[in-house]
Amino acid sequence: MFSPITKSKPLNPRNLLSSLENMESMLNNFSFEELSSSEATHLKKSFKAFKEDLEKKVFGEPGTVAVEVKKEPTDGDMERNLSTSPNMLIAKVSHEIRTPLNGIVGFTDLLKEDGLTNSQLEKVNAIQSASYSLLEIINELLEYSKLSAGLEDFDTIDFNFHNVIKDVTYLCKTLITDKKVTLETDIDSSIPRILVGDPSKLSQILLNLLGNAIKFVEEGSIRLAIAKKRKIKDQLFLEFSIADTGIGIAESKLANIFDAFKQADDSTFLKYGGSGLGLSIVKQLIENLGGKISVSSTLGIGTTFKFDVPYTLGANEMLEQKQKPTIQKDKVRQSIKGMRILVFEDNLLNQRLIEERLKSWGCTTFITENAEYGLDILKKTKVDAVLMDLRMPKMNGFEVTQQIRQNKNAAIREIPVIALTADFSLGDKDKCRKYGIKDCILKPYDPDELMLTLLKNKKDGKMALAKEPEKKLDNTQDIKKSSKRIDLTPILKDCMNDVNLLQELIELYKFNALEFIGSAKTHIRYGDFEELGLAAHKIKAGLAMMQSHELHAIVVQIQEACKTEGDIKQLKSLYNCFLDEYPKVELTIDKAFAEIKRTQK
Amino acid sequence: MIEGKKLLLAEDDNLLAALLRYRLEKGGYQVSLSKDGKEVKEYLAEEVPDIIVSDIMMPYFSGIELIDFVRNELGSKTPIIIISSAGNEENVLTAFELGANDFISKPVSPSELIVRVKRELNNTKI
Repeated sequence: MFSPITKSKPLNPRNLLSSLENMESMLNNFSFEELSSSEATHLKKSFKAFKEDLEKKVFGEPGTVAVEVKKEPTDGDMERNLSTSPNMLIAKVSHEIRTPLNGIVGFTDLLKEDGLTNSQLEKVNAIQSASYSLLEIINELLEYSKLSAGLEDFDTIDFNFHNVIKDVTYLCKTLITDKKVTLETDIDSSIPRILVGDPSKLSQILLNLLGNAIKFVEEGSIRLAIAKKRKIKDQLFLEFSIADTGIGIAESKLANIFDAFKQADDSTFLKYGGSGLGLSIVKQLIENLGGKISVSSTLGIGTTFKFDVPYTLGANEMLEQKQKPTIQKDKVRQSIKGMRILVFEDNLLNQRLIEERLKSWGCTTFITENAEYGLDILKKTKVDAVLMDLRMPKMNGFEVTQQIRQNKNAAIREIPVIALTADFSLGDKDKCRKYGIKDCILKPYDPDELMLTLLKNKKDGKMALAKEPEKKLDNTQDIKKSSKRIDLTPILKDCMNDVNLLQELIELYKFNALEFIGSAKTHIRYGDFEELGLAAHKIKAGLAMMQSHELHAIVVQIQEACKTEGDIKQLKSLYNCFLDEYPKVELTIDKAFAEIKRTQK
Repeated sequence: MIEGKKLLLAEDDNLLAALLRYRLEKGGYQVSLSKDGKEVKEYLAEEVPDIIVSDIMMPYFSGIELIDFVRNELGSKTPIIIISSAGNEENVLTAFELGANDFISKPVSPSELIVRVKRELNNTKI
């Protein structure tokens, strides 16, 4: 007799995997403060091993084609499996192709620096442009097959809507440099700043539609309009419209414009390239987000895409842009110009965004999601700084950093690594220190912060900053505060005149301050008085020890306000004071330490 | 003899902890550092040190709870020195009532702590 279990509906392995992915991302976001770091690592590792094992069983070894169906198809699920297995294959193959292709693109970049003749340069450019086209097709294929196989993850997070739109339009404007095309935006300013949903999918959709428009409009305008459509309870439906004055699409072609592998005209591919998957991806993304897309077009007049997507209203409005330190951008920009930067980042949108930013500052960039390729770049060319995404699904940023730190070549070992991370956890901070990562930038990063951090990590960059610390900030009151000197001799005495220990303590101090800046931001966002109070307590003694009396006073006030669960606005302004004050104090400490080192010699 | 005496340092402030650990190790102690109450409990489950130096405020498990745990759960008389923040006098009194041997206020002078640790160890010998 069979047990009843065999009669029940077989579990669809895809569903299982996607819920596992969900669990994994929850696990990654889980606060491990309750566990010791070794427990947490163990937990993550064993979960990962389990998942990989299961993946192998479902899809076969990576790089091989899974021979899937041996049993008789007895269930509808089985048919669906059959239909998605080519997609899985495409997803896998695309990924495998993408890595070497990225290598080709990167190394042709390097080749171009080798003083080529014009005719050689022309050929290298042709290779590069062909590689980019191929890369674009591969990326779309990958995306399409992931979506079709239901393996795409959708986030539900608080995000700053207006900032996402700003980033997207910034990127699009970089695409239309030498054309007679204008990009206008009309965004309803009453749309709340904070919405809950998937920001990266939204930018993907917009980049795709706007990118298309830019491609097809030779001369004229593109207009992105976003309006509130309706509000049902806490759901806000936004209506997006992208209208262009391009060539337009014939009515007969409009019907299947969203179908996969269809472009309006076979000649379209010849002229504009692309896989023909873009709109199909956009449609699937929008539908997955709970929205609809439609298109209207008149030949010779232009095309308008309209779509709506529901967003949940943010629970609070705390996720405001942090107050930026006013920096003399031109000066800083001048100083970082010409820096060569290697970026490890796997998210395509982030890749493009950071690439554009760095290029606009006159930096040379190498971007990769592949450890080997990145290390290769380091071997073959001079790099001034590495930006490292700590959380990449295929590769661990810490491990890559370790490989850099343990490199045989001393010049490579000493390259500053700057971490990019979406969340600061205590474990990460400790780890950063252990791996020799000095600075951390919270994602989504603020361009000014990125600029300053790069300058700080540039050889002699710190000195450039130190020369004009006062000019860095606007607030005259703050300048008075920060002009106080810090005397490190008492603490050096406590260190039994061991300068190395003092240096270690200063590094710890900086990490604590950065950790506080990161965690306090989150706690203020969620109005978590208790955690904020604890964070303030934790940093207090260190601040006093390093004679950072102003910062200490601010933190004491934060702690007091937390005890009485006081005004969140007051907390925010205190936090902003800390943000303003800290860079100055750090500089003062660095100077004081340099002084001590000099006198010790 | 101080050489090799086992000292548990429970301190969540990594800066202070790094400094104290360095100084205590230079002074010949075998220092185990716990950053929070959970680590303290894990450590104490394995062994009882010759002396404990603990911050009064720590995540998950305060210095007060630590004294209570050592004295009442473990029934150990191992000396305990409490590090207290200024303005926490009430807690210090509670700590003494529960069986703390000594306390030192923040900002902690490492030299002073070393003297106090030494004195407590000598006291227990007698």
